[in-house]
Amino acid sequence: MLLDAGNMEGRVTKKLTVIPEQCSGCRICEVVCAIKHFNVNNPKKAAIRVLNVYPQPVTRMPIVCSQCKTPACAQVCPSGCLRLIDGVVRLIREDCVSCFKCVEACPFGALYAHDDCDWPIKCDMCDGEPECVDKCPKGALRLIPVAALGEAKRLNNILSYTQMKEIEFYEKGEKKTIRYAEIGKEEL
Amino acid sequence: MSIKSGYHRKMLQVDLSRGKLERVTLKESFLDRYIGGRGFGAKLVWDNLKRHGYKIDPLGPENLLVIAPGPLTGAYVPSSGKSSFVAISPGTGLYGDSSIGGGFGVEIRQAGLDAITVTGRAPELSVLLIDNGDARIIAMPELKGKSCLEAEGMIKEKLGTHSVRVAVIGVAGENLIGFACVNADWGRNAGRTGIGAVMGSKNLKAIVVRGDRDIPVHDLHGLMAEHDKASSYMQEHKYFRMWQQEGLMNVIAYANEKGILPTYNFKDSVFARAHQIDGATMLAGYKIGDSACFCCPMCCGNVCLVKTGKYAGTVVEGPEYESCAMLGPNVGIDSFAAVLSANRLCDELGIDTISTGNVIGAVIEGYEKGVLSLADLDGEDVTWGNEDAILGLIHKIAYRQGIGDILAGGAKKILQRWPEMDQLLLHVKGLEQSAYDSRPSITMGLAYATSDIGAHHTRAWTIAKEVEQGQSWTDDEKVDIVIYHQKVRPLFDMLGVCRLPWIELGLSERHYQNFYRYVTGKDATLEELLELSNEVYNLTRLINSRLGSTRLDDKLPFKAWAKPPLTGPMAGKVIDQHEFTKLLSLYYQKRGWGEDGTPPVSMEDRYD
Repeated sequence: MLLDAGNMEGRVTKKLTVIPEQCSGCRICEVVCAIKHFNVNNPKKAAIRVLNVYPQPVTRMPIVCSQCKTPACAQVCPSGCLRLIDGVVRLIREDCVSCFKCVEACPFGALYAHDDCDWPIKCDMCDGEPECVDKCPKGALRLIPVAALGEAKRLNNILSYTQMKEIEFYEKGEKKTIRYAEIGKEEL
Repeated sequence: MSIKSGYHRKMLQVDLSRGKLERVTLKESFLDRYIGGRGFGAKLVWDNLKRHGYKIDPLGPENLLVIAPGPLTGAYVPSSGKSSFVAISPGTGLYGDSSIGGGFGVEIRQAGLDAITVTGRAPELSVLLIDNGDARIIAMPELKGKSCLEAEGMIKEKLGTHSVRVAVIGVAGENLIGFACVNADWGRNAGRTGIGAVMGSKNLKAIVVRGDRDIPVHDLHGLMAEHDKASSYMQEHKYFRMWQQEGLMNVIAYANEKGILPTYNFKDSVFARAHQIDGATMLAGYKIGDSACFCCPMCCGNVCLVKTGKYAGTVVEGPEYESCAMLGPNVGIDSFAAVLSANRLCDELGIDTISTGNVIGAVIEGYEKGVLSLADLDGEDVTWGNEDAILGLIHKIAYRQGIGDILAGGAKKILQRWPEMDQLLLHVKGLEQSAYDSRPSITMGLAYATSDIGAHHTRAWTIAKEVEQGQSWTDDEKVDIVIYHQKVRPLFDMLGVCRLPWIELGLSERHYQNFYRYVTGKDATLEELLELSNEVYNLTRLINSRLGSTRLDDKLPFKAWAKPPLTGPMAGKVIDQHEFTKLLSLYYQKRGWGEDGTPPVSMEDRYD
């Protein structure tokens, strides 16, 4: 089923996706992540962080692991403690030598270090039900089936590319609108 | 039951003159009684006042600046990003405080501190840098004259990290403007009572904080359950989405409809072109993002961009109702782009949007009425809606050029220079009135008159309730609602949380006794917490009283009782002076203060 967390083999087939335009920078994702994984009220122990850069048009961006299939973090790990298991790059704590090379290697900066913690802080997808997605009040964090990744962008692209016209009509007394592209009208 | 958690029990004391920094332990009785935020501030300012024989120059090294989050700041509680800046105000010469949202207070708590105090004066322009357990004063003269936003960028650049929170003053703070503010997170402000000038007087350009410690919570699982209850209530509220989308900008249309929108320096209370500067206009053409304080699902903050025209490229964190009303209708500006530009200019200069809009409105009317001459205005024809002249005047205030040098002193200085302006300038105790008209609402008048910091709506905001339901209230009910607001609203500032979930979405204040219990481990009923808040109110009154304030200062601006709004649903309404006097006496009586508004001397013993 498209909407289930995993397929029959139990593999996670959804990606935690960030929609920065929706993010308000409230950092609830940080707090709930830290509570879930460390049982402390400390946003600085979260595996997801909201970076606020000004004055770019997108001013807030939650940064979290993309669970890459060829993870740069695992490639630099000298002890092989970062492994792709069922679609999630997992950290095997017992094997970690605390070199934090992975934190620097991640092209997205999506791994974090904290003084209290001997291993890198990294998203584990909460066994398929990320707490941050559940608690985000803006819908800026979503769990999207791999097959549907990029769909929103594709849709936006189409909408802005074609010249969309709009008509209103009534269906069973309810007002509705339909959009369509008037292709080729300009040449006429 | 005692306090088990919720605090680090540590306060950083900074003496800039001696370059001395000390971490002191806070006593349990202090935490217990004053809770945090403005409570800590009031007590520490009171102690300092006593040490200096009840004489403090607000701009002198002896004025103690307190920066205090509360026990709920940074905790998993909705909208818990608040902290208070407290000092004797350079604008009023009396008790002053202003709260700031965003994430600055959370960072203080994560640095292991419950409060910071600053006294003295640094030999050159400096920055206080707090990095977890480490604290240092660093001279950064290169920040002189830099705008708030530029300085925040330079500090982050110099430290090589974006992971710090910066509370910074602009040129206005450096130039000791009576209504200079403190700016953090690229545009959040502790706006009122001139705290920015207090920092400026101390040669303190910025406070920079980084911390990564756990925020102590007694019962995390209890707190989570309470959070989820409160948060679900908020998110299911019918106006929740509207708050996320428009934030406080939705109030423009509301205030205009009800006839309480300050227009042309409160000459009127409806603005014919309000639709050009309201929330719908913002959404249609300007808003590019939301901005939330820490842990707030409501995200009432807006981020706007002007895309075309002469102000194209202006980005601002904001506006919200107050800034938009005071820099818009109150000065006759009907272009939303111009409002954004003025708001951004205020953020850069580090100047309060409310006081700025208020003072400029009064200047324009003064010029119109002939109280001020063209020469007084340095030959500049400042008239209603004249955007260039108004933006120019904001600039002149911050740089103290020409007439700006007098306006920069705030209401008190303006009235010293032009006593006739008293009929035009709306202020209480020297604090310029914020953007809610009090004329249709005597309780709002009482709220302004008895607010400890002056004419600001933060202590009690009864106008909406009175306009909508209060026509048959008895005198007792009128006074009681003001006193109740003055207990509950400051309690939020003590706890370190925002009051909007309560006032705007009706989130029960009962939740906060539970939040407090889960965080601190101390059982206290809401009534007990409100009583503690009330004690702080008595204390700020004592402070003002010892600084020479009496009943004579609890007076309303001339316009409130003598000049009704010209048009709109509230046309012709003013506050009846006789009735107001009666209510004020009743108010003192209920508070246990004397007929002259002075608390009994015996009250002082309670704050030893």
